[in-house]
Amino acid sequence: METNSRMGKVWIFGDYRNYFQNRVTLQLIAKGKELAKKLHSEVTVLVLGDQVHQYAMEYVAHGADNVMVGEHADLEEYQVERYTSLVARWVEAFKPEIFLAGATFFGREFFPRLAKRLNTGLSADCVALEIDPGSGLLLQTTPSFGGELLADVVTPNRRPQMATVHPGIFQELPHDSEACGKIIYPDVDLLPEERVKLVRSRRQQVRPFHLEEASVVIAGGRGLGSREQFAMLFELADLLEGEVGGTRPVIRAGWAEEERLIGQTGKSVKPKLLISVGTSGALQYTSGIQGAESIIAINRDANAPIFRIADLGLVGDAGAILPLLIQALRKRI
Amino acid sequence: MNIVACIKQVPDVPNIRIDQERMTVIREGVESIINPLDWVALEIAMDLRAKEGGRVTVLTMGPPQSEEALREAFAVGADDAILLSDPALAGADTLATSHALARGISKLNPFPDLILCGMHSIDSDTGHVGPQIAEELDLPQVCGVTEIHREDEFLMVKRFADGFLDTLRVSMPALLAVGQGPLPLSHLDLGALETAFSKKNIVRWSLADLALERHEVGFSGSATQVWRLRPPPLKKEGELVTGSPQTLVEHFIRKLEALTLLDEEDGNE
Repeated sequence: METNSRMGKVWIFGDYRNYFQNRVTLQLIAKGKELAKKLHSEVTVLVLGDQVHQYAMEYVAHGADNVMVGEHADLEEYQVERYTSLVARWVEAFKPEIFLAGATFFGREFFPRLAKRLNTGLSADCVALEIDPGSGLLLQTTPSFGGELLADVVTPNRRPQMATVHPGIFQELPHDSEACGKIIYPDVDLLPEERVKLVRSRRQQVRPFHLEEASVVIAGGRGLGSREQFAMLFELADLLEGEVGGTRPVIRAGWAEEERLIGQTGKSVKPKLLISVGTSGALQYTSGIQGAESIIAINRDANAPIFRIADLGLVGDAGAILPLLIQALRKRI
Repeated sequence: MNIVACIKQVPDVPNIRIDQERMTVIREGVESIINPLDWVALEIAMDLRAKEGGRVTVLTMGPPQSEEALREAFAVGADDAILLSDPALAGADTLATSHALARGISKLNPFPDLILCGMHSIDSDTGHVGPQIAEELDLPQVCGVTEIHREDEFLMVKRFADGFLDTLRVSMPALLAVGQGPLPLSHLDLGALETAFSKKNIVRWSLADLALERHEVGFSGSATQVWRLRPPPLKKEGELVTGSPQTLVEHFIRKLEALTLLDEEDGNE
């Protein structure tokens, strides 16, 4: 393949699985256009799969200047090694400056392997991206130490500068059916890959507690005092169509199952609303709620660290508040 | 089955403090622990050894004090432990770290059937090192694994990813990065603690032992650099309310309305 500098300097991996709840690729196209403009260049999205033209069109409608489609029956499943081989070859041929992917589960297991193949730098789960005006480098902002600090990372010498990006950080551009873009279908040359074989993949639709995907999460901590008080959270969850989670002390006390654990060794949640009851706000827990859009916290102690990250903090006894709240909601819903 | 468990000693992140002026982590007085998901990996390694036989070797890269982490691994029954330690290894990003660890693993004889590690660490939280070791050693990888069992010459693994519960068949040798396990972390028997310090030896490898050049590892071998550290922006001014339970409930309801999770009440009702 020949080097083609018309293929744009900013590349985005098109992660279309779970579209259209999963909109991270659209978000990255929007941000990518901003970055590309500063580099006097364009945005190219890569899409691999089988029968994926619809996604290519969708990406153009949301702002992609170019889409490179790897179309092949054997690309239907997301597969790290196969995708790495193909994408690495395209990167080597076209040499983009920047390559972004959404920090979905797949993005986070695929991009490091690709970065290693390309012997370049990669930052994980970024919450901000900017071009430094002085150096022209991509400043990649990533949380570390459970979010206690933000690190601005650069890849000074190697290319492309790669990053996975936290979903929900950037705003997508609206769908524009008049938008124009180039969709190309380069040849796809695949090596057989049987070392990892997907035997079964089951959509976890009605999972007992689908915490990571819930839009309302109600998390309880030791401050609730008893199993019975904790149980009130389930009533609240029913009323708000949310899911219940808990901190490590609550799991240890047996008030909730291990699968409901939120935090460093448990689940990370990114709901529209997180209600945090009786939790002090220990880092081990709060690192699992970084992605929450809004947080309402209830705690007896006005100095509890949880209030530093809550949008609305209610200082009071959960035992007194919850029954009244449940009553009030029952009247409204 | 010969298994290598890669572990990392990390600060006990929930208890760290930040020096706001120098934008660094204050490590004094903060305990160092084995990264929680690496403990899960170790647990799974022990479980597999119990079922399949073989040996479990624990590997870590770090300053000399990382030996403590290896001693803890001995205490729960690891057979061998290797410390990769050299001043030149310091300041490494995940590319350089994975290079050193991969080199360490490739020196093992026999080459392991399985390499286990935690999917990510509580300090840097990238999740890169596992896949990058796999790439360097040209091994198949699966991340987020919660269950493993052997079926003939394959490993059958389960993991939950992007809303799908996957069952995969993996050829050995392989690298599996472990996600939160089904078992509680305090599952391991610390009975061997006494023998941990007296009987078993930690093998220490330096740069020369690994046949690595300075420019390949540590800060020099890194592709990324931290330009600066800064505190996270304060969330939009949070509102703190005190008052009677009734007052607090009213505020709560109003917030739900603002978030359009509740329809606003008609004023005339």
